[in-house]
Amino acid sequence: MKFLKSAVASIERRLPQRRPIRVTWLAALLLGAVLLLLPFTFKLDGRPHADWLQFLGRFHPLAVHIPIGLIVLIPVLEFAGEFRPALREAAGFVLAIAFIGCLAALTLGYLLAYGSGSAGGLVIRHMWGGIAFTLSVLVCLLVRPTWTSGNVQRLYPATLTCTLLLLAWTAHQGGSLTHGRTYLTDYMPPLLKRMLALGVVHAKAPASNSFYAKHIDPIFDAKCVECHGASKTQGGLRLDSYTQLMEGGRDGAVIIPDNPARSLLLVRVTLPPSHKRFMPAEGKPPLTAEQIAWIKAWIQQGASPTAIRLNGIEIQDESEDEPLQPVGDYSTLMPAILALESGQGAKLVLVSSKPSDGLILNTVDVAATFGDAQLLQFQKYAPYIVEAELGRTAVTDACFTTLTTFTHLRALHLEDTRVTGVGLAKLTALSQLKYLNLSGTNVTQAELAPLRSMKNLRHLYLYNTPAQPASLASAAQPDGRSAR
Amino acid sequence: MKQHPLCTDCERALDVLSLPVPVELKREWAELETRRRFLGRTGKVLGWAALASLLGDKSLSVEAHAAGDTGPSAVPPRADLRLPNFAPKAKRAIYLFMSGGPPQIDMWDYKPNLVALFNQDVPASVRGTQQLTGMTAGQAHFPIAPSHWPFKRHGKTGTWISDLLPYTAQIVDDLTIIKSTNTDAINHEPAIMLMNTGNMNAGKPCLGSWLAYGLGSMNDNLPTFMVLQTQLNPKENNQPVSSRLWSSGFLSSEYAGVGLRSSGDPVLYLSDPDGVDRDVRRKMLDAVRELNQQTYEELGDPETHARISQYEMAYRMQTSVPELADLSKEPQSTWNLYGEEAKKPGTFAYNCLMARRMAERGVRFTQIYKRGWDVHGDVTGVLPQLCQETDRGCYALITDLKQRGLLDDTLVIWAGEFGRTVYSQGGLTADNYGRDHHPRCFTTWMAGGGVRPGITYGETDEYSYNVVKDPVPVRDFNATILHCLGIDHNKLTYKFQGLAQKLTGPAPAGVVQGILA
Repeated sequence: MKFLKSAVASIERRLPQRRPIRVTWLAALLLGAVLLLLPFTFKLDGRPHADWLQFLGRFHPLAVHIPIGLIVLIPVLEFAGEFRPALREAAGFVLAIAFIGCLAALTLGYLLAYGSGSAGGLVIRHMWGGIAFTLSVLVCLLVRPTWTSGNVQRLYPATLTCTLLLLAWTAHQGGSLTHGRTYLTDYMPPLLKRMLALGVVHAKAPASNSFYAKHIDPIFDAKCVECHGASKTQGGLRLDSYTQLMEGGRDGAVIIPDNPARSLLLVRVTLPPSHKRFMPAEGKPPLTAEQIAWIKAWIQQGASPTAIRLNGIEIQDESEDEPLQPVGDYSTLMPAILALESGQGAKLVLVSSKPSDGLILNTVDVAATFGDAQLLQFQKYAPYIVEAELGRTAVTDACFTTLTTFTHLRALHLEDTRVTGVGLAKLTALSQLKYLNLSGTNVTQAELAPLRSMKNLRHLYLYNTPAQPASLASAAQPDGRSAR
Repeated sequence: MKQHPLCTDCERALDVLSLPVPVELKREWAELETRRRFLGRTGKVLGWAALASLLGDKSLSVEAHAAGDTGPSAVPPRADLRLPNFAPKAKRAIYLFMSGGPPQIDMWDYKPNLVALFNQDVPASVRGTQQLTGMTAGQAHFPIAPSHWPFKRHGKTGTWISDLLPYTAQIVDDLTIIKSTNTDAINHEPAIMLMNTGNMNAGKPCLGSWLAYGLGSMNDNLPTFMVLQTQLNPKENNQPVSSRLWSSGFLSSEYAGVGLRSSGDPVLYLSDPDGVDRDVRRKMLDAVRELNQQTYEELGDPETHARISQYEMAYRMQTSVPELADLSKEPQSTWNLYGEEAKKPGTFAYNCLMARRMAERGVRFTQIYKRGWDVHGDVTGVLPQLCQETDRGCYALITDLKQRGLLDDTLVIWAGEFGRTVYSQGGLTADNYGRDHHPRCFTTWMAGGGVRPGITYGETDEYSYNVVKDPVPVRDFNATILHCLGIDHNKLTYKFQGLAQKLTGPAPAGVVQGILA
């Protein structure tokens, strides 16, 4: 059908003078109407259709470059025609061929979209772009004779310019379909990005270990999302996801990367609290100075969803573990470890199925009889033991000397033992020790002093010791927070 | 198959193994066979083996592959499970189960705007096409009942907590509150089964059994998985809680939860009767063991082994449980923390104290059940009582674990089986209302090893009716618990009924990354 019509139309092009002009226009109008009605006749319903449609349709990316090349050639020919008239004569022919190519590409494109069941916004835009472009080429064809004959001066150049702009736009949509929306901007220099007001391209999802996810998002979550979230969206602003944060609200963007002074969000939370535009509004708890400093530094350093660290911001974060030192492979000791498992004494438990995660010394079944001598027997496993559960055992201060050979020890339980803390300083040799439980022992504050130099030791428990008496620790009143 | 000698006209007996049933089922059947039948069939098997070798490897490959996974023995040795899959943050867990469905709107999910909507109908657009329970489906109106209790901000995080929970409010900075938990079931039994076993139908192992099976015991003298029930308060609407919830399902019954009674002896018949001393008991157990071993050799049923090991465990518990339950050595600071109520066995506070003691003694998983949260009516009368019974225990447990350095590697979980509706069931008056079951959103919390303290995860709409951000279905909730204990929920499986069964079920589940530390 369409091909027939296009053929008729192209014949008309070649014989424009001999036919009454009205017939030409009527045919063109009819063709235009057919093109416009096409998407309404065969609606893109988002469901795939027959395979052969797609098979043919997949030639669309190939076919589409023929009219593109030809249309781009036309202005060149028209210009060059100023100097060599034969080239301008050729332009009319090239235009006609280009139009046929347009129809073919359009048909194939439609087969592709209809056949594969795509119906996204980008596809729809690309489709209408293609149709508009084809119609615009048709208009070019129709008005060109008047231009070459010198009757109407401006119409053809204007239409051709329009056609070229439409071509660029449609081709960009098509390119975005094939290569992805951010194909052009992914590697754009940041300066250019800012000039184009692209902000940060949202292609990157916030990484769960990023500064944003760990420190910025929780601030918004605690202080802002109540009114700027999914259930209540004041000022059209949502702060519950990175994308929405960067999109901003009714007043525009609230975060301008690298520019804290212009970032509305930071401006509003740093106003004097009495100011009527101060946030959080309605007397809700304001952000702390620390939180503001974090947000400011984060914006200043690009408001990135993925950056893990910020210069100048040190956060003592318990969960931010340094990578654990892998212990050696204990596989050769495995028979002995399994023998312990089935025996009556203390056991060595595998932290996980990965040997490099180490072993746990478990004494709970024999705690009462497990003393310094028994601990000494585990010295051959010492480099592989990452956790020693010596709570409620019979070990004494003598154990500290043995424990210095447990070089990979990360957690040490000595709760409710007879240790008094003499020799505790020897533990400073355990550079990876993170957890030390001395609850219920006789350790005093004085003996703990050397431990202060252990920078990895983050969890020190002294409940019910002379250093931290239990009576202080459990003042259980609903009003007062208990001391630790 | 041998026919009955008196039968003259018997049909040929049906042989299960000749039926066209899946290989897996055949294997299970084979495991149940007696040794005698096994020997009887060996000839046939050899014949088949000869045939198979004539046909070449291909004829065997499917079965060989299937058998290669776990081998012919019923229970794969723990080393084969290769667990934990990765270094865990938590070694043990304590699950505070609030049976009946606590009302999230009155306790956690602060919705101040509802006050203005008092007695107005919940918009139909919010309710959507949800099917309600038979108890309120017939109501002409669904009047909004705002919480009777004011909320205040607590802790450094400024989390909103109802005035009903003055103690828990003090530990909000240690909690990971999940407001977007949701379930597929709307009635107690299926919902509580789903929470505990990942399946609404009975017969699947519960979370504790999976952990016991997967991770094993940390202590030879106490069960790996213990269950504590809180004594009933007859004024509350108590829904039944039964051993189905701590059943090991198709796993060996060694992994079932061991319940401690809420009054009298913690374990019945554990103490030796008059005239039986420990030596006599030992002799008796040895004799029983021998008999059981004979049965095992005859029938090869792995449950016999489970029985033997349970007798042995009970014997060891004769000394370990009295020690566990002996609170006389607890210092005064304990009672200051848990309250005097904790001295009375069966109270929630007592159970919390016991949970701490079990954690100290290496019990892998402790589950405390508190019934009565099914507040269909008289919320203002019953709910304060429920909160008063549980609030201090929760606070004391977290605080105690924390001060003793146990919270670092213990995961504490607080959850019910569903939430409750924003609309009133039955009449709504100025100062009383009822709330029906609500599966679409409910609030749970976790604390301790593996989860990020001081955060609130997920969001509900203005009616606390639908989840609008970060939904956490039950399977994700359970996958996250397993993750904290070093288990990839997709890897802890057990072949049963032709399916690699797992706690999270066949629907794809995911670990809730947003709450992990």
